[in-house]
Amino acid sequence: MIEGRGITKTFASRGGVLGSQSVTALRGVDFLIPRGGAVSFIGESGCGKTTLGRILAGLETYDGGQLIVGDTDLSTLKPKAREPHFRRVQLIHQDPYSALNPTRTIESTLRDPLRLRAAQTGKPASWVASQTEELLSLVGLDPSYVLPRYPHQLSGGMRQRVVVARALTVEPEVLVADEAVSMIDVSLRLGILGLLRQLRETLGVSILFITHDVATARYVGADGELYVIYRGQVVERGPVETVLADPVHPYTQCLLSAIPVLHGLERPGEDRLVPKEPLDEKMEPAGCLFAPRCPFATEVCVSERPVLGRLGGTPQHHACFFPASRHVVATPLR
Amino acid sequence: MSIVELSTETLPGVAISGLTIAYRTDAGELAAVSDITLGLPAGTITGLVGESGSGKSTLALSLLGAVQKPGRVTAGSVVIDGIGDITKLDEHALQSVRGAQIGYVFQAAQNSLNPLKTVGKQLLDLGRSHRVKDLRGLLREAKVLLSRMGLAAERVLDSYQHELSGGMRQRVGIMFALVLNAHLLVLDEPTTALDMITQANILQIVRDVHAERGLTTLIVTHDVGVVAEVADRMAVMYGGRVVEHGQTMEILGAPRHPYTRGLISAIPRLTGPVDAAKPLPGTPPTLGTIPRTGCVFRQRCPLRMEICDTVAPAMIGGVACHAVNETEQL
Repeated sequence: MIEGRGITKTFASRGGVLGSQSVTALRGVDFLIPRGGAVSFIGESGCGKTTLGRILAGLETYDGGQLIVGDTDLSTLKPKAREPHFRRVQLIHQDPYSALNPTRTIESTLRDPLRLRAAQTGKPASWVASQTEELLSLVGLDPSYVLPRYPHQLSGGMRQRVVVARALTVEPEVLVADEAVSMIDVSLRLGILGLLRQLRETLGVSILFITHDVATARYVGADGELYVIYRGQVVERGPVETVLADPVHPYTQCLLSAIPVLHGLERPGEDRLVPKEPLDEKMEPAGCLFAPRCPFATEVCVSERPVLGRLGGTPQHHACFFPASRHVVATPLR
Repeated sequence: MSIVELSTETLPGVAISGLTIAYRTDAGELAAVSDITLGLPAGTITGLVGESGSGKSTLALSLLGAVQKPGRVTAGSVVIDGIGDITKLDEHALQSVRGAQIGYVFQAAQNSLNPLKTVGKQLLDLGRSHRVKDLRGLLREAKVLLSRMGLAAERVLDSYQHELSGGMRQRVGIMFALVLNAHLLVLDEPTTALDMITQANILQIVRDVHAERGLTTLIVTHDVGVVAEVADRMAVMYGGRVVEHGQTMEILGAPRHPYTRGLISAIPRLTGPVDAAKPLPGTPPTLGTIPRTGCVFRQRCPLRMEICDTVAPAMIGGVACHAVNETEQL
């Protein structure tokens, strides 16, 4: 289980001809991922989703809010004391090639963390070898083929499976997958996504899935929650299938409308929306962050910022003064 | 050669026939593109889909006569209307047709601008290298294109690469490809690394500019969704060969080659049963592991027959598969 309450993060950039500037990456993000559950964050580049993943994995600090892993509130701990807890969260990022040391065989890559683990827990040396093979089988690789090889001798899909196996060596409770299949060949993607789904079931690992490809998020966690994040603020969240079928925030609607339609197989959603303007990150609106691009913005949207709240009595949440369900996602022809 | 007859003066069609491109490696000369025959009808957008190592980028580069050593065209021709067989042109002739007649937007165009020069300076460099006399006219044309793509033209010309977003750089790449009035446009992975909204915007621009300027366009991508959005026709590559080609809607609606079928059913979708998406077993081949004889897809193929091990299937009616051809003939 992992929970975030009001996580904030601002990056300050000093110097430059324009003087100091700051970029707000996260504006008070709340989320909860139950054991074995999945939560997906979707949004444009620069929306803060990658920062959130890095904070969870302990690679980035946060300015405010609480981060609770299991039953430990990390914000109450000193930075040094947080470290072992961050080990319970492992990050899988998009490029499996740069994530693996090219001069080491897969065997050496996997054995080191396992040896350390064996030493800590008093397990015999034979455990390391058997655990290495078990982990590789778990991620769908043939140990005898993979162990003696170097990363460059494996396909992108195999490399990403090795990265997952390495993350599992420390028995994490949460995997943060940040665009984990965007660099993998199309025919191999589904295998990796299926693996993540299977790990939820077999090991009870929770998954935070970060992507701009909504369909892959649905494949990993159709039973989980979808969070739509815009400029650091969660603007809509709810059960994946509900948000896809009945999105109520215009930003979610624009994002889902932009997904290519497989003409010949699908019919486009009848209410497809396009933002009025491109994103201008330098502009900091006083009201709704999306108002400058929103086709439906009114005066109140420009002057006041809506907060995330429940849609009636449903599990769906939104941050919009005028939530309206629109059908933007393509439907299969048959 | 019906493709050539169809075309008019302003619309160049492309006829690729029997094209083989091989790279010299330690293991001998290996074909990245094998015996491809494919037409790009004048005025259409063709999507070329394939995974890494399928040879799609090598094929696209051959349209520009820009296959890099240690690669070379070992057989076949690429005939472009108004230019002739591009594989036979010398470097001097190639230089004058590149840009002027064939526009190319490179993979990762987002990073292919010179970081030390403004866009405007690079535009003037392009003009000089093509001996454009009317540089003012060139600037004017660039501004028209940039504004058409929704950019503040003056500001963009005064900008350095790092001052532009990914989507803006991609549009600048398209401007460079078209500013010398090219009518054949090749885009290699034009939307990779862009997010969904920017991608949709770029694809809309490609569609509009294609129609307005009367282009013949080839889009190279790994993403079937991109092809589905913009391309009239599509060709599917695997292991250096085109395994299926035809109208996009027809192929998506009723794919025939087992690879195309597997590729399309491996796409996760937003609606319908989640498990309708099925993984394609196996791994795509690399240059060194492409089978030299027989069908390149047989190791992953659910319809594999004995003949597939020894004889490469011929392209018949838009599909190159022994099993499909056999059943369709019955």
